[in-house]
Amino acid sequence: MSLSQFLTALDSLEADATSTLRSIQDAAQLEDARVRFLGAKNGVMKDVQKQLGGIAVADKPAAGKRLNEVKQTLQGAFDAARDAMASTATKVTGPLPDPTLPGTALRLGHLHPVTQTIEHLKEIMGRMGFTTAEGPEVEDPWHNFVALNIPEDHPARDPLDNFYLATASASGGVESAHLMRSQTSTVQIRVMESTAPPVRIISLGRVYRPDAPDATHFPMFHQMEGLYVDSHVTMANLKTVLRVFATNYLGGDVEIRFRPSFFPFTEPSVEVDFHWNGNWIEFGGAGMVDPAVLKAVGYDPEQVSGFAFGLGVERLCMRRHGITDIRDLFSGDVRFLQQF
Amino acid sequence: MLVSWKWLSRYVELSMPIAELETRFALSGLNHESTATVGDDFVIDLEVTSNRGDCLGHIGVAREVAVLYDKQLCAPVVNLDAVTDFKGPVASVDNRIPEVCPRYIARLIRGVRVGPSAKWLADSLHSVGVNSINNVVDATNYVMLECGQPLHAFDFDKLSGGQIVIRSAKAGETIEAIDHHTYTLDNAMCVVADAKSPIAIAGVMGGSATEVTESTTNLLIEAAMFAPLSVRRTARKLKLASASSYRFERRVDPCGVDWASRRVCELIISSGGGVVSSLATDTNPSAPSRSQVTLTYSQIRRLLGINIDPDEVLRILTALGCTALGHDGPGELAVRLESPSWRHDLTREVDLIEEVARIHGYENIPENDPISVVPSAKRPFDVAVEKVRGVMMAAGFCEAMTPSIVTDKTDAIVSPWTDRAALATVTTMLEGARKLRRSIVPSLLQSRAANWAAANVEADLFEIAHIYLPGSLPNDAPIEQYSLGLVSGQDYFFIKGVVDAIAQRLGLSHKIDFKSTPISGMDDDWSSALMLGDRVVGYQGAIDPKTQRELKLPGKVIAMELSLIAMLDEAKLVPTQKGVNPFPSIVRDLNMIVDESVRWSALERAVRAAVTDGLEGVHYRETYRDPAKDGADRKRILLSVELRKPDSTLTHVEADTMVKAILESCEKEVGAKLLG
Repeated sequence: MSLSQFLTALDSLEADATSTLRSIQDAAQLEDARVRFLGAKNGVMKDVQKQLGGIAVADKPAAGKRLNEVKQTLQGAFDAARDAMASTATKVTGPLPDPTLPGTALRLGHLHPVTQTIEHLKEIMGRMGFTTAEGPEVEDPWHNFVALNIPEDHPARDPLDNFYLATASASGGVESAHLMRSQTSTVQIRVMESTAPPVRIISLGRVYRPDAPDATHFPMFHQMEGLYVDSHVTMANLKTVLRVFATNYLGGDVEIRFRPSFFPFTEPSVEVDFHWNGNWIEFGGAGMVDPAVLKAVGYDPEQVSGFAFGLGVERLCMRRHGITDIRDLFSGDVRFLQQF
Repeated sequence: MLVSWKWLSRYVELSMPIAELETRFALSGLNHESTATVGDDFVIDLEVTSNRGDCLGHIGVAREVAVLYDKQLCAPVVNLDAVTDFKGPVASVDNRIPEVCPRYIARLIRGVRVGPSAKWLADSLHSVGVNSINNVVDATNYVMLECGQPLHAFDFDKLSGGQIVIRSAKAGETIEAIDHHTYTLDNAMCVVADAKSPIAIAGVMGGSATEVTESTTNLLIEAAMFAPLSVRRTARKLKLASASSYRFERRVDPCGVDWASRRVCELIISSGGGVVSSLATDTNPSAPSRSQVTLTYSQIRRLLGINIDPDEVLRILTALGCTALGHDGPGELAVRLESPSWRHDLTREVDLIEEVARIHGYENIPENDPISVVPSAKRPFDVAVEKVRGVMMAAGFCEAMTPSIVTDKTDAIVSPWTDRAALATVTTMLEGARKLRRSIVPSLLQSRAANWAAANVEADLFEIAHIYLPGSLPNDAPIEQYSLGLVSGQDYFFIKGVVDAIAQRLGLSHKIDFKSTPISGMDDDWSSALMLGDRVVGYQGAIDPKTQRELKLPGKVIAMELSLIAMLDEAKLVPTQKGVNPFPSIVRDLNMIVDESVRWSALERAVRAAVTDGLEGVHYRETYRDPAKDGADRKRILLSVELRKPDSTLTHVEADTMVKAILESCEKEVGAKLLG
């Protein structure tokens, strides 16, 4: 038998067998097909295989290769037909299944949106090398004011604008030994007091100011403040860090703007705006750490410089989630909390 | 500060579009709030930061324009020579508190006709929202809004003794101010008085008894400085803020007081006639020394990250009013400057650098100057708290954030950590809240009650926050303990499961034991201290029914609070692998009959004590009672023990030996008998 005859026989076997197997309806037909094409004794496949002996030695590799291909095709077609038969056969009878019924509700918890915002901020600042720091919420005037270059006659120290703690000795109008911190800058002081430069931290936490509550004010809120003190820190570094922060937080390339401002603990001081979706958004305050602050913690302002910035976490959180009333954040209402 | 465009243009040329000027203001330190049209004038509302009292007058704002646009500032020149009366009397001023009133200038004007103001002046005041009263009062207001120096005109003929006394108020002394309210003063306040009684609350408001009326002919014009702190405290205490107090709080120009006095006299006489005494009474005529500062040019680059040309630096600073005194030190590396008297905030090199920066423009500072790369890692505490939150998420809790300062009533609900009275703030926070909370649980119970009232039945809440445990002395700072608090309507043992899961996730080496401890506000049968070894790390209990009734909170409520700080001390946040034992275990169920008083913890202890090696687990299954068979006050506890050897397959014979030891120990320790 010539090679071409052999190959032709294989081709016709392949065509015949695959079409037969494809049209199998029941188990009897499947068995018939198996015996006819793949039977070990008298199957057609076996017959063709026997012809291989008559092929010229030089043609044998080609013939053998094709023989194997067809064998595998047939076996595959047979397996497919058998599997198809099996799945029909095992079908259970009963009511019609409805896979569109709802899934079982998981009773999962919900993280507070402020927590989610804080984690997000920590993550972004962490990637720029800022480590998180915390400190007490009940502070002394040194950390909350004096070391931050806020002198005694400064309006920020007014007893009516702070939550001073009542003590036996302190009566109305006089500062007592402790107060609820009005800013997280207190943490920066504590870190600098105990750490030699360089310092690169963010401080996060609750702060307290006696504001009457309304849609945008609450007497307790969260601040994030960043501080970087090193031998060559400039305002250009500050602008760069804040631009990278804004780009990360808001997504897309964000323009940034400094407006001059006044804070006792920074000089120069600026308000920071981000240009986003066609509007300038107030981000927070920033500036170069005032030399008086550096001196207060024992740093030499001629040897090191630093920048600091601070922002209200709630404002960022509310903008991100479309929350319009800050009081909702502190309501504990599960209909609110479960949305996040 | 409301700024009239027309008024401003009296001092500086305004050739720029108004919108452009508004933006330049905003970007150089005078934040633009809004602009309104009043008649044919524009009125720009600028926010002035507390360090810039000099911009609380039109001339100060004009100076900013002049610097920004490199134009000439034209402040009015005052010439009183033509209207002075050389023979006039001199006002008597007795300043008894120079520390509160560093300077007081009194000028007398005689023979003035009080009447309406000139139209231009009345219009100017109208544009910035000030009502025109008469030519005298209007002139004082105009000059204040021109240069920022508050002024007051007294009807000289109504001053008892014709004299001015600046003194502390006497406690209980009263004054009717020109707003026709009567204010009771205390001795921390400062007044301007005549021989008998106060005629003005110093720096805040004049009195009605000596105010200028249509019949007034002789005036005493006050131009003074009052200490910011005194004025602020007085205004705050009396709840009486005025344009004057606002300016004194932000400091006035010590050298500008006399200019303002002469300027207002000139305006009054030009409209009302009369003559001014040639000699003013000035309690402190010597000009205060101005600050001298050395600016080293290289410091600009060091702080701002950019170079600014020294010529531009000098242009900016001199235009702002600084006087250049020449180079300081060798070369031209530094310059010595004297700050203007109206800029009390320019005392240091860095203050001058800020001035240069804001006028030069922050837009010139680049934003592509990155900082170095350094390692930074999450704190172990943050890692731990994340793990805790993960457990709370899986357990189906909502995280709440509630105020740290609570009402007396809330504070009293439950305080497991301490019996010391809570610290309190002087000012109340919300709804009378003054107490620094000693536990998170009361706040969460109230949230749960509020949710119940709003028909959100399943308010299972947790919060992670500081609690404030008072120190031993009244003035001690509290111990601030980072804690996890929760309240839940779930089963007591579900919450115990949460505690176990937290302990397990934090890698605590041993589990948390519950030790019965009575806690006020909680049900005695269920309240427990959570022990980690000998250390109390938390509390768990069922809220007692009475407390729940008071909170209008139905259903059983379980509360738990854990010190996260204590947990972190024992935490192992990075697990290390233990080999998996490949040998099969044998599990035996043991149904033990014990007295009712026997607790699981004791039974488990007895089981564990019996087998030192090979006891892999002791698992509680259930408790049931059959008094008919076992007698009263007896219960059956079904438990399973899991037995396995580390190095070979445990045989049944070995298992039998272990079980026998367990049963003996249980009988001996807690009197347990195996059923059947």
